Formats: sequence, C-alpha cells, structure tokens
Amino acid sequence: MLRTDEILSTIQMLHAEHLDVRSVTLALNVEDCVAPSVDHLCRKLRQKIVSRASRLVEICQRVGAKYGIPVINKRLAISPAAALLAGHGRSAALAVAKTLDDAAAECGVDFVGGFTALVHKGITAGDEVVIQSLPDVLAQTQRVCASVNVASRRAGINMDAVHQMGHVLLRIAQATADRGGFGCAKLVIFANIPEDNPFMAGAHCGAGEPEAAVNIGVSGPGVVGSALKRRLALGDKLTLGDLAEEIKITSFRVTRVGELIGREVAKELGVAFGIVDLSLAPTPMVGDSVGEILRTLGIERIGAPGSTAAIAMLNDAVKKGGLFASSSVGGLSGAFIPVSEDAALAEAVGQGHLVLEKLEAMTSVCSVGLDMIAIPGDTPPETIAAIIADEMAIGVVNDKTTACRLIPVPGAKAGDIVNFGGLFGSTPVIEVRNPGASSAFVRFGGRIPAPVHSLKN
Amino acid sequence: MKTRYPHTYVLNVMSDDHPGIVAAVSQSVESLGGNIDACSQTVLRGYFTLIMIVSTPEPLEPQQLIDRVRAAGGASAYQVMVRTAMPSEGYAPGEPCDRFVITAFGKDQPGIVRRFSHYLAGKDINIVDLYGDRSGEEFVLIGQVEIPTHWDIRMLQADLEEMGKELGFTVKLQHENIFVATNQLRLTRAPQGSL
Repeated sequence: MLRTDEILSTIQMLHAEHLDVRSVTLALNVEDCVAPSVDHLCRKLRQKIVSRASRLVEICQRVGAKYGIPVINKRLAISPAAALLAGHGRSAALAVAKTLDDAAAECGVDFVGGFTALVHKGITAGDEVVIQSLPDVLAQTQRVCASVNVASRRAGINMDAVHQMGHVLLRIAQATADRGGFGCAKLVIFANIPEDNPFMAGAHCGAGEPEAAVNIGVSGPGVVGSALKRRLALGDKLTLGDLAEEIKITSFRVTRVGELIGREVAKELGVAFGIVDLSLAPTPMVGDSVGEILRTLGIERIGAPGSTAAIAMLNDAVKKGGLFASSSVGGLSGAFIPVSEDAALAEAVGQGHLVLEKLEAMTSVCSVGLDMIAIPGDTPPETIAAIIADEMAIGVVNDKTTACRLIPVPGAKAGDIVNFGGLFGSTPVIEVRNPGASSAFVRFGGRIPAPVHSLKN
Repeated sequence: MKTRYPHTYVLNVMSDDHPGIVAAVSQSVESLGGNIDACSQTVLRGYFTLIMIVSTPEPLEPQQLIDRVRAAGGASAYQVMVRTAMPSEGYAPGEPCDRFVITAFGKDQPGIVRRFSHYLAGKDINIVDLYGDRSGEEFVLIGQVEIPTHWDIRMLQADLEEMGKELGFTVKLQHENIFVATNQLRLTRAPQGSL
C-alpha cells in the first residue's frame, strides 16, 4: 500500500511543479528506403514513417492521461539521411526533406531529426549532399532537424568539415534572414554524437540502434529547482553535499517517471524501448530554468566565478540519481545550458554577466555545448569555425559529447535582441571577441589527430 | 483465512492514543490462550483504533475477550468489539482490476466523501485505502481504489473532474505505478488489461 506522504509528494511534483515527460522520440531506421529514383525513395520513406509512427501521438496522450503526466513533445528521429542521398543531388535532398516534413505533419509530431551527416573522419558523397543542401532544407521545411558530427574521440576533429560548417551556418542564416537566422536553430554540430539522443535538434537513429525504438527525454529543471528551494526553506544548515543529495533524489524520481512512460509507449507501439535521457532541458517558461538552479545554489550572477563548479555539481548529481533509477540511461544525460531557451541564462547574457568564453568553460563539465547562442551576423566564417573547433576539442579530449548550435543573426550586432518564438525563446546577441583572429589556424584544414586517452592531466 | 488455531475472532479496540494499548490488548489475548494472526492500527487526530484477527484452540464467548481487554485498559475505558470471524476471504472483485489513486483537493464542505464514494460504488470500484484531512479551510481526500479493467479510464477521469468542478475541487485519477515509480525502490507492477 502506498503511504499518504508518498502520494502527496508526487502530487506536488506533478501539479505544483509541473513535472512532465519532455520528449518521446520514436527512432526509426530508414536505410531500407534507398532507391535509385527520388520519387520512389520518397514514397517508401513516407510510407515507412506513417505506418510506424501514425499512432505515436495518440498513444502518448493515452499513456500520459493514465498516469497524469503530460508528454510534451512527440518526435521522430530517422537514421542519417546521408545514407539515403548517396548518388543523388541537392534537389533530391530537398525532396527527401519535404517528404520528412510532410510525414511528420501527418503523424502530428512537431520535429523529425536525422537529416544527418557523420563526417568526423571524412566526407562521403551522401554527406556532401546533406551538408550543401542544409540552407535550402532548413529554410523550406518546418519540422526537419539536422545534425553534423565533425569530431570524435577516435578520429579527432575534421577541420575541413568544421571550416565548411562555418560557411554553411552563414548561408543557412541568410536563407532564413527574415526569421533572425532561425534555420540555424535546427542544426546541431557535434563531437561524439550519441546514437540514441531523443532531444532535438540533434536526435537521430544512430549506427547499432534497432529498427525502431522509443527513446525518452525527461527533463525537470523546474522540479529540481523547487526541490532545492523547499530544502533550503527548512532552514537547516546545509552543505553543497546536502544540496547535491537533494538533486540526486529528485533526478531519481524524474527518471523513474520517464522509464515508466517510455516502456508503456514502446509496448503499445510494438517497438523496443531504447533509453531514458535524463537531461535537464530548460524552456523559456519562468521557473523551468537551469540558470535559476545556479542562482538557488548561490551564484548570484550566472557567469560569475563558481558557475563552472556549480554546474559541474548539478550535472553530476543528475547523472547519479538517474543512473540508479534506470538501467537504460543514454542519450546526452546532463544539464543543458541553451541560452535563448533559458530565460535566466539569456538575462545573464543581456546584463553582461555571462560571456561566450564562460559558457564554453561551463560546457566542459555539463551538457551539451554552446547551445542556442545568437552571435553577430557579420562574424567571419573562420571565426564561427574556430568557435566550433574549440567546443569540439572539449568533447574529444574529455571523452564526452559536445555540440554547437550557433545562430549568426543576419544584420544583428552584439546586444541586439532576437526572438525565435515558442520553445526556442529569445536572447540578446552575444559578443564574439577577436573576430578574424583565428582564420589562419582554421584555413590549415586537415584533421586534428585523436588525442591520447591516457596520462589525463 | 488460515489462522494458527481453529476458532477465529475479529477484535476491534478504540481509545484515545497513549503508550501501552497494544501491550494491554495482546496480554489479554495471550491470557485466554489466543494467538494474534494479523493486526493493524491507525491513529487519527489523537484517536487510536486497532483491528486484530485472533484465534484460539478452544471456543470462546466473544464477551469473555471483551471483558478481558476492557479490564486490561483500566481507567482508559477502551471501546472493544469482538465477533466470531466468518470463514470468508473478504471481498474479491469478480473481474481483473487495476490499482489507481484518486486525489481531490478543495475548500472543505459537507458531502465530499459521500459524492465521490457514491460515484465509485456505482461503478463497482472498491476503495482499498482512504485518507481525508481538513487543514485550515482546505480538505484533501486520497483514495486508493481497484478499478475493473473494463472501464475506460479517461471516461472515469472526465466524470470525476466534472464532479470536482461542481464542488470547486481539483480531482485526479492516476494509475498507482506513478506513485510507486517516484517513491519506492521496487519495480512497478505490470498494468492489467488495456488502457
């Protein structure tokens, strides 16, 4: 029998602190849709997606209602589109992307990830088609999300690809200039891309994954923040160890909810249950912020000294709670710091407390990288590439996933405000110091070799 | 109901709460040669209540046990009730059921428990645990219930929420696994039937 206090504490999390399941993502391998004719390819792709995913939304709603937990986002992730596009051209890429867009709409999902190229060691013909078509694809579709893996722990950093992405980002921004360069918000550039990440924009169905699997993104910065505030309000003398414990317990509870929902959705859909990604993913909603957690932990101005240590503690405690809660933890699993999507972080950038270099430092101990950061539209492509290279180096050397989701906002300079709408939020454009000063480094090209994985100091 | 001895009784004791009640009652049972086969106690706002299944090797007049327990209570004036237990296993639902939790919060008024319990009774939904408490002007009601699997949960949820609205209450009906998952280390039980 359940105890009354157990029921009441869960009700508090669900109804007062808005615990939810952030994302149920159906990962689907579509390699069998390859065809010599583009029309045939698109027909097969649409048929496969609709036949496997048309019940996803309805099942998520039913399961969510049964447990009283809202499933906020229902999404799709396909195996890398580059495999479909080898031997085709850019027009085929756009046709495939529009097919994905329409199939996603037909299934009632808001995003479909997997317009992906894995180029950490070299670029194939299919990868080249994906990368070169990104400006058209991200400007002319609504739901398609893209990712490019340019670095890995075993291959090092493909600087040719990094350099190319610097130029491509500017072209995407130009193609979506009327929306503040919004197309770039749907593209993630990765080091060590996870195969089973359920979070957009970087979700795809990676190598080694089953034919179809349900991956769950739980979130809950709001729940963690409230738990910490409640603990502090008790007035005891607390240490950071006590606060880490509180985060850990909350993360355990949140992860168990995710796994419960995920397993039941997978069973109803008749596909494998994949993983729970126990990331703290903020939204622009007040209270649903990783930045606010840092403030609760005593960092008055986010970006001040201590910010890196505080987020390291948060990130680690979240993982520890989640790992005990589920044996199927995967994806990114950490605390995200997407600037425009987190009102407290965006505010800290606006007030000059949080700068690009500090964000970079924080990403060395948390997930997932320089995320949703608006930079001036006139930032040189080599400088954008160099920012990406720095972030990739953190991932490759530290044996972790890192990523960049940078938006060079056309016509905007540091301090201007850009609004991407909805969950993407709004943010001041951040200052990029020393523009152009790393061009020669980037132009060398080639590959930064894989780092040594011993003698770690 | 398998008990240690063949003659089985249900013993119920109510008193204001204080240390020593269980000691007094159990000593009385033992003094009559009885065995305690099961027991459960609850304390609500300072009042203690105890239910026990007691078995004895020889038949016993229920009044004997009542008198023994009352005497053991002395000045505490226990209210004691004893009856011979029937050879029954209690209520067993006629079809598969799944465990759900109803929670209702709102401004206290007479009739809350009656409205919800009448609705549940009308649907053959068994209440297996009930808690209600008034705090300030607010009343919270929590019921753990067994719902026959043929019911459409979303229909029950809609009915209960509608009833809640009429009373100014927030009402939720949720599968028990969500509470198990967030509070207990044990694995959740597989839900019965379909959604």
